[in-house]
Amino acid sequence: MIEVKNLTKSLPNGRKLLDGISFTVNKGEFVGILGASGAGKTLTIRCLNGLLKPDSGEVIVEHDQGVRRDICSISKRQLKKVREKIGVIFQGFHLVKRLTALENVMIGRLGQINSVRSLVYGFTDKEAEEGLAALEKVKIQHLAEARVASMSGGEMQRVAIARAIFQNPNLLLADEPLSNLDPSNAKNIMKLIQPLSRDMPVIGVFHQPEMTAKYCTRVIAIKNGRVFYDGDPKLSDELLIEIYGEELRHLEANFFPEVQAVPITFTKNKPELHDRPNLSNL
Amino acid sequence: MLPVIALAIAVEGAALVCGANIRGLNSGLIRGFVFLGQMFPPDWSAFPELLGPAFDTIIIAILGTFFGTIISLGFGLAAASNVAPRWLRRLTRGMIRIERAIPEIVILLFLVAAFGLGPFGGVISLTIGCIGMLGKLFADAIEEIDPVSIEAIEALGASKFQVIYYGVLQPVIPAIISFALFRFELNIRLSVILGAVGAGGIGLELYRAFSLLDYNRGCSALIITLALVFITERLSEYLRSKVRLEGALR
Repeated sequence: MIEVKNLTKSLPNGRKLLDGISFTVNKGEFVGILGASGAGKTLTIRCLNGLLKPDSGEVIVEHDQGVRRDICSISKRQLKKVREKIGVIFQGFHLVKRLTALENVMIGRLGQINSVRSLVYGFTDKEAEEGLAALEKVKIQHLAEARVASMSGGEMQRVAIARAIFQNPNLLLADEPLSNLDPSNAKNIMKLIQPLSRDMPVIGVFHQPEMTAKYCTRVIAIKNGRVFYDGDPKLSDELLIEIYGEELRHLEANFFPEVQAVPITFTKNKPELHDRPNLSNL
Repeated sequence: MLPVIALAIAVEGAALVCGANIRGLNSGLIRGFVFLGQMFPPDWSAFPELLGPAFDTIIIAILGTFFGTIISLGFGLAAASNVAPRWLRRLTRGMIRIERAIPEIVILLFLVAAFGLGPFGGVISLTIGCIGMLGKLFADAIEEIDPVSIEAIEALGASKFQVIYYGVLQPVIPAIISFALFRFELNIRLSVILGAVGAGGIGLELYRAFSLLDYNRGCSALIITLALVFITERLSEYLRSKVRLEGALR
């Protein structure tokens, strides 16, 4: 379980980026966070694993044996401990590209092993087997020995998911995991992430309302740094327009099938020739 | 027009100050050609005994590059803003800058006073000599790493040590190899020069043969030196193209 209480974050000039974000996510839930660019989605998710410190507020996660800790106020050493049990899937994959898929998967447990051991003799055979099992779950066990640098985006994201599975976390965060993928790969990745929510809360930032409607159990929409909507993943057209702004109406109909297309009308006062600066006079 | 006149006056002035004149150039050129003629044919019998010193020169360059790369990597990490604290970064950047200002020969002359003549001083001065160039290049390469890829390792709860190994060193390994190979080319040439000043090797043979007016033997040493430089350059170029290929995949 993860409990977020009243997160706030402002720029030095006083502009509020996060303005009292609160929500609770339990095991078994797959929460999709939606919102326009700049609404505060990524900031929120960065606060959830301590990559960003909010100005105020609490992020309470359950650590081992039900110990609850507030990520925003713990020491660096404790944060490291808590992070061992938080899986993160990044937007740009962020794997170690020179290493193989299997090695990258095993990096998921870096926090749980001694740093001297990770350099001197690496991982045990048992861990390698578990790593292979994780790769099998995302159906790329045949690429275990391939370098990540030679893989496609979809394959890299699978490696990242396998890494999160291998890490065996209490909480999984995903920051725009679909943004570099084509539609069919995106669907496959969602199908891989969804079942993970049976064992832990899963929170992901998405830009695709049609994906969250299909795979998530709950949607949280953020607007202007506040939780604007929290509930059923199937959002009405009106809600989507409120979340993303009026411009959504003007998008093509088949992009969001549930949104009706409005033909774009040109304004009458088109700029005339004499409106332009006359260069010959300069 | 004015710049041309100024340039002409400057050139003439410089020539007067250092005593250069066209007649000197003329006679010098002729003497040079005579000298070249005296060098031929090379002393073929000297080749086998010159291979040993040539080998010394290579070893000095290899060891100097090896230790230099390792030490420079430490300097590079300490001088990169995304790894080291500000005070350490300033300190190491300053040290790197100072090192770059000191020629390797000067370092060797100091070391000869300390350790006496021999390849040991050569290795140490090449090692120190690497810091000025490689330290800065490594630091710049490390600073260019995408910060999120470092965060990605931090987010796993990894220790500082692990973050540096997986998040910082791994992405820059191709750059490190490529720069080190390039430095090795330079070090082969420097190793020849340092040899003449006291580090031994083919440079010393070259210097000795010419001072004893044994030009044929000198010619042999020169041929070996040229071959050495040529081969290492081609080899390093080939290896670097391989590394680049890997880098392109990143």
